[in-house]
Amino acid sequence: MAAVAKVSPGQAAGLYAAAAALRLAVFAFLPGLSDLLAARVEVSTPVTSFKRLQEGLFLYNHNVSPYDGGVYHQAPLLLPLFSLLPSFAALPLPTDLVYVVLDLLSARAIWRIADSGEAGSSALFTSPRRAKRWSGFVLAAFFLFNPFTLATCLGRSTSAFTTYAVLHAIANAVSGAPLGAMVALAFAGYLSLSPLLLLPPLVLLAYDRRRPAGPAPRSGPAFAAVCAAAVAGVLGALFLLSYLVTGSWEFLPSTYGVQLTLSDLSPNIGLWWYFFVEMFDSFRSFFLAVFWLHLSSYVAGLTLRIRRQPLVVLTLLLGIHGIFKPYPSIADTSLFLALVPLYRHVFPLMRYTFLSASVILYSAFLGPAFYYLWIYAGSGNANFFYAITLVWGLGQSLLVCDLMFAVLRDELEVERPEIVGKEIRQI
Amino acid sequence: MARLLASALQLRRNPRILKLPPYLSFLCILVGVAWLFLLPLDQYSRRTYISENALLPGQVHTYFSGSDQNVFRAYKHEVAALAGKTNAQINDGLEPLLRGFGLKTARQNFTYHAAGRAYAGENLYAILQAPRGDATEAIVLVAAWENVRRELNRNGVPLALTLLRYFKRWSLWSKDIILLLTPDSIAGPQAWVDAYHDAHDPSRVAGLPLKSGLLQGALAIDYAQEGRFESLHVVYDGVNGQLPNLDLINSVVHIAQGQMGIGVALQEMWRHSNRYGDRLRTMLRGMVRQGLGLASGPHSAFIPYHVDAVTLRPFGQGWQDEMALGRVVEGAFRSLNNLLEHLHQSFFFYLLMQRERFVSIGTYLPSAMLVAANFTIMAIALWVKSGQPGDAGDDDKAPPPPADEDPLPTVERKLFRPLAAVALIHAVSVVPLYLFNHAPESALAPLFALFALLSAASRPSSPTSSPAPPPPAPSSPSRPSSSASSSPSPSSSSAPPSPPSPPSTSPSP
Repeated sequence: MAAVAKVSPGQAAGLYAAAAALRLAVFAFLPGLSDLLAARVEVSTPVTSFKRLQEGLFLYNHNVSPYDGGVYHQAPLLLPLFSLLPSFAALPLPTDLVYVVLDLLSARAIWRIADSGEAGSSALFTSPRRAKRWSGFVLAAFFLFNPFTLATCLGRSTSAFTTYAVLHAIANAVSGAPLGAMVALAFAGYLSLSPLLLLPPLVLLAYDRRRPAGPAPRSGPAFAAVCAAAVAGVLGALFLLSYLVTGSWEFLPSTYGVQLTLSDLSPNIGLWWYFFVEMFDSFRSFFLAVFWLHLSSYVAGLTLRIRRQPLVVLTLLLGIHGIFKPYPSIADTSLFLALVPLYRHVFPLMRYTFLSASVILYSAFLGPAFYYLWIYAGSGNANFFYAITLVWGLGQSLLVCDLMFAVLRDELEVERPEIVGKEIRQI
Repeated sequence: MARLLASALQLRRNPRILKLPPYLSFLCILVGVAWLFLLPLDQYSRRTYISENALLPGQVHTYFSGSDQNVFRAYKHEVAALAGKTNAQINDGLEPLLRGFGLKTARQNFTYHAAGRAYAGENLYAILQAPRGDATEAIVLVAAWENVRRELNRNGVPLALTLLRYFKRWSLWSKDIILLLTPDSIAGPQAWVDAYHDAHDPSRVAGLPLKSGLLQGALAIDYAQEGRFESLHVVYDGVNGQLPNLDLINSVVHIAQGQMGIGVALQEMWRHSNRYGDRLRTMLRGMVRQGLGLASGPHSAFIPYHVDAVTLRPFGQGWQDEMALGRVVEGAFRSLNNLLEHLHQSFFFYLLMQRERFVSIGTYLPSAMLVAANFTIMAIALWVKSGQPGDAGDDDKAPPPPADEDPLPTVERKLFRPLAAVALIHAVSVVPLYLFNHAPESALAPLFALFALLSAASRPSSPTSSPAPPPPAPSSPSRPSSSASSSPSPSSSSAPPSPPSPPSTSPSP
């Protein structure tokens, strides 16, 4: 029985200090490692790479449109932020500090989500197993010392910003701040598009957790409309600001257009690039539509089916995004893995934990080896790496499915107590 | 179908299934090993063939003979006069010869520090610019002053010089030809290839002042023996078990064997009957060399850069002379010269068992996979077992309620400590890594013995018995009295070893 122990502020400070010290030590003493990670396809995708950000920053600081080179595909507002910092080449410490602080803030958001108890008992459903859970301290530690999170932070991938925005949105929603949640979600969507698909479950989550005395409207549709309007308004403002910063609307096709049409086919750990490398051009737009439709089709189904636990929907969707979005990286996996331990109470119902953990570990070690064989040794070809990304996707989807099964089984056992402990059978 | 699935699921609950995995995994090992021993049979291995049609090996007349033999003898005297001199003096002596051909030459200094020793020297190289090319591609001819056995390459260096002088007269080269003369067979080529690809550490290895195009292939000549030879030994192992494209080996074999009538040996199998035993021995030697991953000649440094390379080493007492080897090199260079694209058609993962017989990765990999699968099978079995109540030592939980229904109830596993222990042990492996990388050469053997004994001693034994006896002092190889349990044989874990040692032991590795 993992009882939730009280965590003293000293312990929390110790955790954050240890995580920050580890990261800063690697930045300071092993600069080669962070450069290596920044160059890895597993960490840096065309839409999150720090090297590309520096390229865009250079153009921006020299009064050239950052999108002219065709290299930079990230949100325009990152540029003024990073140009406020001292130059990375001359003094990397402030930039590193930004990434470290982002990770700590993300861990803090996870802590808030865990302490809210939303995973075990939401407004419409209370799991009988909810007593068995991990504290926010454990979850924050799990996030901060997850090797995938560490690699993302050390590789200075800008997906750290998206991760923070998504986690902050969920934390705001569970703590009864719908407006804050929507603003954070708008930021996440502004930075990397696919979090916008989280809007329906997030609205539901915020609706379920709204404070009775708060200013938000009571009725569901009105609440949803206000939330959607808030996201749209913030997004519009961000776009306008981006327009003012870059001086043209060119950033829309160069950032979101690249994600929507997959015009940059650099290899990554996702499943899209190989398909679109191999595809005849005449089928391209059709399959782009199919792939995007596939990605977005999960939203409605999951939101309706697991209506009573919107946080589960958000977690599952984040896992699905980590597999099926156009440019996934291990940052998306680390975000999903950060939320999975919230469901400690349904772990006993999961059936393939060992299998999925083994598959994820296998592919995490074999992936770089196969990439090396393909790109450097030349003795393999693209199929090697693509095969291992398929295995990687398989491992993650096993975990997603297993978690979904466990949550649904948990719900079912509340409805029908007589089946507790019995084997399911296909009829 | 649904019923089949249901009965399969029923079967899953059968407790007898759990007794199966040890046998299953043993079977996997058995089949995997047996598979390996089947490979040399005719039914499972294949004859080699040339995949890349552009190579056309053995299709050209070779003209390296006649008066070039006199040139060779002259260079041989020049080289013999330089024997025993310092690296710089040798290069001072050889460089005018190369310049005399009308070639551009350059030198490169390098110093490596490894295992407490410094490997320093100076490479000399010359570039023959292709009359028909645009300097975008090049082939390398390597002649190390000393071969891997530290013998003077007394015929190889003059032969390489003669060949280059001969190549200069031809107008048909469409790729540059680089002659690389290195003081030794490992460090020199490594420094040169690193610098050629700008992957060198500028503080230790100088950059190259003169470069050509992309390297398409390399041949090294290791001809240290005096006089005529019988057959040709083709050395192909690269560092870390990497191999050159099979097409290159096939071309050399084809030219030497088919065109020139020179026998070819592989993996130091000087006599090969092409029967099962010799094939198996060749294959196993190749596997051991790949596993050790050591450089086996000047060609080894090229392979990590995706430059296919082999070393040719004549051996035996026969009637083939230097000119025959020169014609083989000429034929191979003509083939490489034909290439339109980098060698990519043929295999990169193969096991050669005779000069014309091989197995490719698709045939031998299942054997390795089966051996590896047994770990996964046992891991899954142990995982399932660890979830069963009862036999686990620290089962402080109440028995799960629905035990009457469920033949295989599961309990929660406590994973934090095992995972932390595994992570910690893996992290501690940095220590031996650091030690082995930084220890001087003389300390490596005792250090290795020490670590072998430590890991044998710290092997988990049954919880009641004390740990194995202490390792002996690392300097003396003499075994203590209870030698049975300090040997790393895995069988002693079930049978308790010799009576627990006196309490003065208990080392804490």
